[in-house]
Amino acid sequence: MLLLENIKLAISAIKANKMRSFLTMLGIIIGISSVIAISSIGASAQGAVSKEFESFGGGYMYLSVNWQQTEEVTQDMLFSVDDIDALKARFPEALRYTAPYAYAKSDVKVGRTEAELSIMGVAADYNKFSTNIDILHGRMINKRDVEGARDNVVIPREAADKLFGKEDVIGETIAATIMGNPVDLTVVGVYQIPASIFTQLDTSSSYSCYMPYSAISRSDELFSYIEIFADDNKSIEEQGNAFASYMQRYKDVPENTYTYESAEQQLSQINTVLGYLSLAIGAIAAISLLVGGIGIMNIMLVSVTERTREIGIRKSLGARTNDILTQFLIEAMILAVIGGALGTAIGIGIAAIGATLVGVDIVLNISSILIAVVFSAAVGLFFGLFPARKAAKMDPIEALRYE
Amino acid sequence: MKELIKMQGLEKMYVNGDIEVHALKDINLVVNAGEFISIMGPSGSGKSTLMNILGCLDRPSQGRYFLEDIDISEQSDNELSFIRNQKIGFVFQSFNLIPRTNALKNVELPMVYGKIPTAQRNARALALLENVGLADRYMHMPNELSGGQKQRVAIARALANNPPIILADEPTGNLDSKSSVEIMQIFTKLNREKGTTVIIVTHEPDIAEFTDRIISFKDGIVVEDRLTEVGKAPKKEAY
Ligand SMILES: Nc1ncnc2c1ncn2[C@@H]1O[C@H](COP(=O)(O)OP(=O)(O)O)[C@@H](O)[C@H]1O
Ligand SMILES: [Mg+2]
Repeated sequence: MLLLENIKLAISAIKANKMRSFLTMLGIIIGISSVIAISSIGASAQGAVSKEFESFGGGYMYLSVNWQQTEEVTQDMLFSVDDIDALKARFPEALRYTAPYAYAKSDVKVGRTEAELSIMGVAADYNKFSTNIDILHGRMINKRDVEGARDNVVIPREAADKLFGKEDVIGETIAATIMGNPVDLTVVGVYQIPASIFTQLDTSSSYSCYMPYSAISRSDELFSYIEIFADDNKSIEEQGNAFASYMQRYKDVPENTYTYESAEQQLSQINTVLGYLSLAIGAIAAISLLVGGIGIMNIMLVSVTERTREIGIRKSLGARTNDILTQFLIEAMILAVIGGALGTAIGIGIAAIGATLVGVDIVLNISSILIAVVFSAAVGLFFGLFPARKAAKMDPIEALRYE
Repeated sequence: MKELIKMQGLEKMYVNGDIEVHALKDINLVVNAGEFISIMGPSGSGKSTLMNILGCLDRPSQGRYFLEDIDISEQSDNELSFIRNQKIGFVFQSFNLIPRTNALKNVELPMVYGKIPTAQRNARALALLENVGLADRYMHMPNELSGGQKQRVAIARALANNPPIILADEPTGNLDSKSSVEIMQIFTKLNREKGTTVIIVTHEPDIAEFTDRIISFKDGIVVEDRLTEVGKAPKKEAY
């Protein structure tokens, strides 16, 4: 029998029992929509995370004591400013930027307005390497700031707005407490961060500011991390290992005392986690499709029984076993595919809402949509086979006699 | 005259566990092309069983059945489907139209299984409905038609592939006398004008009188086979 005829027939049979058909599809709809939604959100998140890591700027890594491998971390393992200078002298080309990791937090007050600043210590021209700082007014921390350990600060636009009620606040001072001492910070720059998944998710109320690392650490301070922008045209892995082993030799400490972490490494770790996540989603999908398939089988068995007489009539009119088989198989497949299509649409809708809420661009996982639709058709085929065979094998006389 | 149907020593047994029903016993029957026959007999005498075998819906337990010289007992299920589709038109007591499917689609159905192209079967189904006086009802669903109308749609459907044989098991059993007469007139016209072989089962002697020959059954055996007044009339021989 002609395929088109069968499809028309299936659609009219489904239409004749709208509510029942819809409930039957529900399993498939829920399964497919959750898979599409989660995989699209996953892909969107992955896209956003990769973009975020790119925005750190190429070649970003930090060198640190290998806390996991080192049994006892002693003072002489930590980095002094002189150690960093030695490293810089050894790799003048590769080390485009280095700074010890220095960090301070301070409650500040301007007039009656209070705020909390998270201050990151940087070396000169940090914004030339890190790509997520746009200077709006003034300038970034420069060489003279670092050498003079000046109490200059670059604050975000939001902080300027909050503390001073305006954006351009170059030259204003902010009373802060750094390392236990009261200091008047002079604003030399105002910046803005391009919107990203992290700024959206960042719920902390403090403002990220930049100061010369020398101003928020003592000159004889020892550091456990060195922030680095290495040569982004060369292998991050090779450079990281070279930095670590040079430092080990230079400071005469055991092997594996130092290690490095790069944005690349973290990205691949996140991607691994996301990979496991999609495996888990796959399992959920399989289960929900199984449940949906059983639902379809159940309703097709009911439908075959209800339509016993119709099957008898069709056979008496010349339908072959295969014609009946195809008719019911196609009906089951169409049920499943409509369910799959509805599920896909709903899934995309949920993903779009989710992506909008989190503020990332939606990335539709086209292959997962295709797989979902093909898969639901396969589910219909598989679970429709048993009822369809039952219908096809009916004895015409028995079927005609069925009340 | 051409032999259309030939049954030789045909038997049908139904076995249901311990119970064995001998529904047809040693049937020997010849039907020529163009005959118009009634099968009569008390309930349970084997009339429907015979019709089912004649219609290739069922197989005999023993004996042979030739339809147009084809030995039916040797045919596969698919071949039987093809024979039902091309050679036989069924009309049932309970109409057996496909529910929620309009008159036109019902009439088209045998042509769908016969792989007739859409446009052609559409036109033919309409023409068939017109012949039974239902051209204006082609869009109606079965539940929107009266019994007589349903049976006329069923006849149109039975004629879809222009089969040489029409088998009708108590076609007027669910109809009032006026509709019954209309249905019998359609069969008569079909038989007289197109030479289609028509075999009906009926309980009603006045319905049987429309036909040319009456075969009576009792307990699975043919007890009488005679011509009616119409059948004896010479005009029949002219055909
Ligand atoms: N599928 C069946 N299984 C068992 N017995 C059957 C079956 N079909 C018919 N019979 C029996 O065969 C006999 C003939 O039945 P049937 O041909 O339907 O009679 P009629 O149509 O003349 O009333 C009856 O005794 C009936 O009970
Ligand atoms: Mg009967």
